[in-house]
Amino acid sequence: MILSSLVLLFILAPLAGMFIHTGGAQFLETIKDKEVHDSVWLTLWVSFAATFFFAAGAVPLAWLLARRKFPLKDIIQGIIDLPVVLPHTAAGIALLGFISRDGFLGKAAGLAGFDLVNHPAGIALAMAFVSVPFLINAARDGFAAVPERLEKAALNLGASQSKVFFTISLPLAWRSITTGFIMMFARGMSEFGAVVIIAYHPMVAPVLIYERFSSYGLDYARPASVFFILVALLFFIVLRLLSSKKKVKQITIDAETD
Amino acid sequence: MLKLTDINRRLGSFALKDINMEIPEGQYYVLLGRSGAGKTQLLELIAGLGHPDSGSIVLDNVDITRQRIQDRKVGIVFQDYAVFPHMTVFGNIAYPLKVRNIDKKSISERVEKAAIAMNIRHILERDTEKLSGGELQRVALARTLITSPRLLLLDEPFSSLDTSLKDDLKRLLRNLNKSGQTIIHVTHDYGDAISLANRVGVIHNGTIIQEGSVDDVFKNPSNRFVARYAGIRNFFKVEVSGENGLVTGVTKHNVRFKLEGQTPGKDALLIVKSEAITLSKEKPADRDLNIIQGKTSEIIRSEFGMEITVDAGDLFYINVPVQFFENHRLSEGEEVWMSFSSKSIILLN
Repeated sequence: MILSSLVLLFILAPLAGMFIHTGGAQFLETIKDKEVHDSVWLTLWVSFAATFFFAAGAVPLAWLLARRKFPLKDIIQGIIDLPVVLPHTAAGIALLGFISRDGFLGKAAGLAGFDLVNHPAGIALAMAFVSVPFLINAARDGFAAVPERLEKAALNLGASQSKVFFTISLPLAWRSITTGFIMMFARGMSEFGAVVIIAYHPMVAPVLIYERFSSYGLDYARPASVFFILVALLFFIVLRLLSSKKKVKQITIDAETD
Repeated sequence: MLKLTDINRRLGSFALKDINMEIPEGQYYVLLGRSGAGKTQLLELIAGLGHPDSGSIVLDNVDITRQRIQDRKVGIVFQDYAVFPHMTVFGNIAYPLKVRNIDKKSISERVEKAAIAMNIRHILERDTEKLSGGELQRVALARTLITSPRLLLLDEPFSSLDTSLKDDLKRLLRNLNKSGQTIIHVTHDYGDAISLANRVGVIHNGTIIQEGSVDDVFKNPSNRFVARYAGIRNFFKVEVSGENGLVTGVTKHNVRFKLEGQTPGKDALLIVKSEAITLSKEKPADRDLNIIQGKTSEIIRSEFGMEITVDAGDLFYINVPVQFFENHRLSEGEEVWMSFSSKSIILLN
């Protein structure tokens, strides 16, 4: 009990300390700072966009992992988890080689007329690289929890495989998918290591905080941190609330299908 | 008409072996078997949820062995109903029509009709989560029947219904069959088979071990497993021996049976059908019969009249009409004689 409280305290104390040390005047000034605004906004929308676009591929992949048997499935599952265990700066370096002007994706972007390095699209890729496993794994568990009987029944009733996916599997796995979506979004938003290597500018909030800290020191980095944390928390709570509306119904479904 | 020819299918350590079945249109076929016997796997092959390793499935003269599930016109109702939890009752019944892009108006007309036929119109707008087992069963049936399947497959439809709901559903299924619906019904309960089937198949360890009319199967069980299903209780393990042209079977408790035309083997299972045994207070005169003396140990009312248990070392169960019982004034603990012809003995190895 005491040990558990200590762990909780360990998480809360530094955050609380940071909030206490941030003066009201300083904080107000930071809120008005356009540079801070822009960077927080950039972080939020780029992470959201990355999550949104990658979901289009990640969710079907999660379904395949949950339902189908195919060769090398275990290895593929391992590859998906790889970004989680890599040092994120190393992930950034690897990705940079891929999207810089000499890289495969970089060349393609060059043909389309823009440079992925130091571009929001590049930032989105860096965020997605380290955060997409959260979405894939959560969605996979969600699909796996849908009773296969229901999918079989739908096929028997005449639905095509894709109709079964959209009318049965997806709605029943929805709660897990939203949770994965929120996790991916939150993880992408807080990413520093991979992003800083792809794009120092435009500055996402974690990079901005680092820059303020290394150029001006702790006192200057603190209000920006507090502001970013507050905004991130707000988004996190709103998304949780939105997804928990569905939850009430979903729980009764689980109880029934167990 | 459905015809299965030499169906084989291996699933891990279990296998369906050489399944041959022929089910004419309008038949109510009951497939009897214990859990794990392969009943559900066989149904899933017919429905197209799995494919046989070899063999063919022909429905109405069309080979459907490799046909897509969606095109088969075979409806299956699962044991756990598989009612979609995120849709209302209406949504469930309408589902097969919606995925066929049928227009809304005719969907609601047809769902309404199906719901009336299944007596669930009053719950159409309800969520499925608070429905009873009987209601879920009807929703699942309505949802499948709305596709007008050529063949209806039922997987243990009574497994979670109480007795009164079971009787309702039996009536409903019987009427459905009378109106021409071909049904294959799998169950572990021989009572279901007797009360519903035109034809019965018994499946054990992935093989159909006996098939025929209800009478064929239950009066002449081809082995111990079928016999047990048929509710036959007079089984005895006997050691068979033959001397001087006389073959006898002797139980552990020294009850002797005269056998006829049976080749002596070693251990065998001997069955005497209850209705073949004649009960009397005096020793019968006919010396060709098997005559065994015993003491009545229990007399109870049964669905056939009275069931009298006779202890002759081994226990025999004999059903007699109430009339017979009253005429003879039998009471418990009385000496009685049982007689039956050797021809009525079934010997299984």
